[in-house]
Amino acid sequence: MPLLEIIDLTKDFGGVAANNHISLEIERGEIIGLIGPNGAGKTTLFNCIVGYHKPNQGAIRFKGKDITGLKPFQTNREGIGRTFQIMSISGDLTVLENVMVGSFCKTSDRRTARQEASEIMNLTGLEQDAEARLTELPVATQKRVGLAMALATKPELLMLDEVASGLNPRETEEMVALLKNIYVVKGLTLFLTEHVMEVVMPISQRIIVLDGGQKIAEGRPQDIANNERVIRAYLGEKYAKGRRDRGSI
Amino acid sequence: MRTLRDAFSFGDLPLVERIGFAIFIMFCTLFPWVTKGSFDQAVMIQFLIFCLYGLGWNLIGGYGGQVALGQAKNVGMSAYTVALLMVWWDIPFWLSTPLGVVVATIESFVLGYFLFRLRGHYFAIATIAVSLVWQQLFINWDLIGGARGVELPLKETPNFLYMQFASPIYYHYFAFLLVLAAILYMNWFRKSRLGYQLRSITSNEEVAESLGINAHWVKVKAYCITGVFAGMGGAFYTVYYNYIDPFSVMHLELSVMIALMTMIGGAGSMWGPIIGAMILIPLDRYLGAWLGGSGIIGVDFMIYALMVMIISAYEPKGIWGIIEKVRARR
Ligand SMILES: Nc1ncnc2c1ncn2[C@@H]1O[C@H](COP(=O)(O)OP(=O)(O)OP(=O)(O)O)[C@@H](O)[C@H]1O
Ligand SMILES: [Mg+2]
Repeated sequence: MPLLEIIDLTKDFGGVAANNHISLEIERGEIIGLIGPNGAGKTTLFNCIVGYHKPNQGAIRFKGKDITGLKPFQTNREGIGRTFQIMSISGDLTVLENVMVGSFCKTSDRRTARQEASEIMNLTGLEQDAEARLTELPVATQKRVGLAMALATKPELLMLDEVASGLNPRETEEMVALLKNIYVVKGLTLFLTEHVMEVVMPISQRIIVLDGGQKIAEGRPQDIANNERVIRAYLGEKYAKGRRDRGSI
Repeated sequence: MRTLRDAFSFGDLPLVERIGFAIFIMFCTLFPWVTKGSFDQAVMIQFLIFCLYGLGWNLIGGYGGQVALGQAKNVGMSAYTVALLMVWWDIPFWLSTPLGVVVATIESFVLGYFLFRLRGHYFAIATIAVSLVWQQLFINWDLIGGARGVELPLKETPNFLYMQFASPIYYHYFAFLLVLAAILYMNWFRKSRLGYQLRSITSNEEVAESLGINAHWVKVKAYCITGVFAGMGGAFYTVYYNYIDPFSVMHLELSVMIALMTMIGGAGSMWGPIIGAMILIPLDRYLGAWLGGSGIIGVDFMIYALMVMIISAYEPKGIWGIIEKVRARR
């Protein structure tokens, strides 16, 4: 039984089909990359899975259970954690407190929550930022805070929406290393969207490509990189041309 | 056990705050012995009642960020329960108060359950509308005294069961104990799961929900606790004044006053409501007494409105926010 199963999912926003008859499966322990150009429908698909959007059609199963139509807090309790492409947290909660909010998902004891939050902050390299407010931090750190908050809820499936967008190459490399580490330490299943290829290609075991709301390809990274349709849709004419010139990617 | 320890432990607060709290306790303890003026003592008790209201409102309005403007009806419902049970069946304060608090809490629960489907201004407006409806209902409901209100029958001798005392000192200390209990509760609350979840919802509801928080339910819970505080205050108010009517305990003005006071003092902070009450209640009473003679009505409210505008433009977290900023700069 797959961990996550999406069957013929469609979501449209007033005539625009942001997700168009998408089906996919994710096995426990996999790392799946979801790629596609701007507006392809990646975030929409995430939002449908976690219940932020209600799909117009189709079903979502998690651990064999139909979770279509559940609210975000319910899907989280089922074991799905997610980070946001852009997370704006106002208010006076510190980084530590925000991560504790995540821990409080599974315990009501403050000391346990604090203990767990500290461990996760060590894992994600946030020891120095415990007392900072989110808005005071650089983007790269904010992304790690989002990751830590989601991790604190102890998900089985962690969905990361553009966890490397806005990061410079060095920060991106660090993020990839961090994700690999978390994957091993926590025994997670990872599902990540990205349009930065450097993140998805080296760590994904399988890649799913969306374009215009449709799934246009699925396969191993090296196959996707050589898929003509993907190159045209995703990388654009410029790269396709470059590829023709060089003979390969 | 841990809950109690959390409630009684102020160790994580800066020394200044602990000293301030100690001074507050000393001031309230000694006050009846240093002042003999009955007007001053009445203002002091008013202050304590408003501390209780404000500390409760701070849950939903401060930590929860929901501008609820309906505390008066919770105060009123509990007050009427206590008053009517005594008038009708001679039921003592200590039995009627738990009932009054339950009534106030149930009202909060039902209202919160439906109204928290609304957001922001819509929620605030809905709470105002419901308050006005309730007040009209009470004004026109003859069975419970209508516009004339309810007067509590006086016992011949001071009576602890009915909380009837000859000297205001007893009321002072009882109100003070209620405020202390409220502070201890809030001290627990700010470290509790509920406190964290509520603050997280205020920061960003979508993110909070993604962390497994049922935002609607958490808000309803917080609103119920706010109702408990208001209910306690209403019960006390009844036995202190021995008279209630829909204009004193069901009035929108009371709800607005509670909210303004907390916002001026600093919504979402431990001491904000107390600071707000400390400034507004004396101002209100002494200014009211002074202006009352000259026949100008509404000037006091204009002054509060001005204060809110100045403070919210300069520092949305109120006076406590200013204090924190100054402290951070040093
Ligand atoms: N709440 C919404 N209401 C209306 N249209 C929306 C909404 N959310 C997304 N869309 C539309 O759906 C389409 C898919 O958007 P989505 O955000 O899912 O793309 P994406 O693949 O995440 O893109 P990006 O790489 O820019 O993050 C876009 O055309 C977008 O304008
Ligand atoms: Mg997106």
